[in-house]
Amino acid sequence: MAETAITESSLKDALTERLKATYVEVADMSGGCGQSFTSLIVSAEFAGKNSLKRHRLVNSALKDEIAQIHAWSAKCQTPDEYEKEMATTGGNDGPPLDGTDEGKVDGVDQ
Amino acid sequence: MSAIKEITSLEGWAQHVSSLLPSTLLIVSFHAPWAAPCAQMANVLSTLANEYPVTEPFSTSWVSVNAEELSEISETYNVTAVPFLVLVRNGQVLESVSGSSAVKVRNAIESHAKPTAHSNPTVGEKAAAVTNGGAPVVGNENSEALPGDAEKQREELFKRLADLVKAAPVMLFMKGTPSEPKCGFSRQLVAILRENAVKYGFFNILADDEVRQGLKEFADWPTFPQLWVDGELVGGLDIVKEELASDSGFFSRYSTKVNGGASAAAS
Repeated sequence: MAETAITESSLKDALTERLKATYVEVADMSGGCGQSFTSLIVSAEFAGKNSLKRHRLVNSALKDEIAQIHAWSAKCQTPDEYEKEMATTGGNDGPPLDGTDEGKVDGVDQ
Repeated sequence: MSAIKEITSLEGWAQHVSSLLPSTLLIVSFHAPWAAPCAQMANVLSTLANEYPVTEPFSTSWVSVNAEELSEISETYNVTAVPFLVLVRNGQVLESVSGSSAVKVRNAIESHAKPTAHSNPTVGEKAAAVTNGGAPVVGNENSEALPGDAEKQREELFKRLADLVKAAPVMLFMKGTPSEPKCGFSRQLVAILRENAVKYGFFNILADDEVRQGLKEFADWPTFPQLWVDGELVGGLDIVKEELASDSGFFSRYSTKVNGGASAAAS
């Protein structure tokens, strides 16, 4: 019923293209069901925008996709912020959240 | 809090009606045991009935009638489908609501009932406006609006949402309730609020599909949980975490952290 199957790579492509992202990582958290994704998006378009605005940008870029999947999580950084974090923590792939009912995952180490 | 009385016979009906004062609003709910939406409507009504205190003299009277068994009564009120709600005062039918739209039912009752202790025009949900969240509203969206009504309904819904997001300084729209979250993200957000001893109101969007879909449009935000502060959307779990990471005092204005860190957030 979805026009295109939503996969990690299809989301990655969409984000790269629509947000001119310089780096994108998407992980399927739903055990392969393609229903629940977490992501890290690095794009200069986020500069000067607060958290809400960045997420809204992502939401509109992925409007159709998000409407179809069950859970979506994103970490939006500018290239500078990404570099900084990589330097300090070695980076991570989106907030490692558990979109399902079981499992309590500790939040990102910031 | 008023209880809903089940009418089991024509005599019982006649007796009940004759006992009413001319000023009492009689709320008659017609149901059929085989119709699933009726069970949900029963829930909606009992939640509503709870908001109306039993007063002397009675300002509201809530009764339930099995539409098939007591078909004479159904015919009197032109009950063509169930669930069906009829509001009567002094023998006059004020309004009837057909179908299972919790919003329509609530609006109809509120517009005709005498004001209660804490009458809130559009925020009938007990979920919000209290320190601790309260009973979530059990509702069911099954609008029977005619095409022309759609715009008006949308306006009313948005009006209702505009009030709902301000029901408490911090409002959490979540899946499930703080004591029983139905989704990992909602659960985490509840935990964060608890850790920061935040006082908040909550609304279980799983219990009201109209709010669930309407709020997505109203907020221009596609997912839940949603945290609103002072009537403005903060965002979902990700954003709340990010805000806290950059400012650990993000919630301090709404926190009840006093000596001992007693948490007034939902249990």
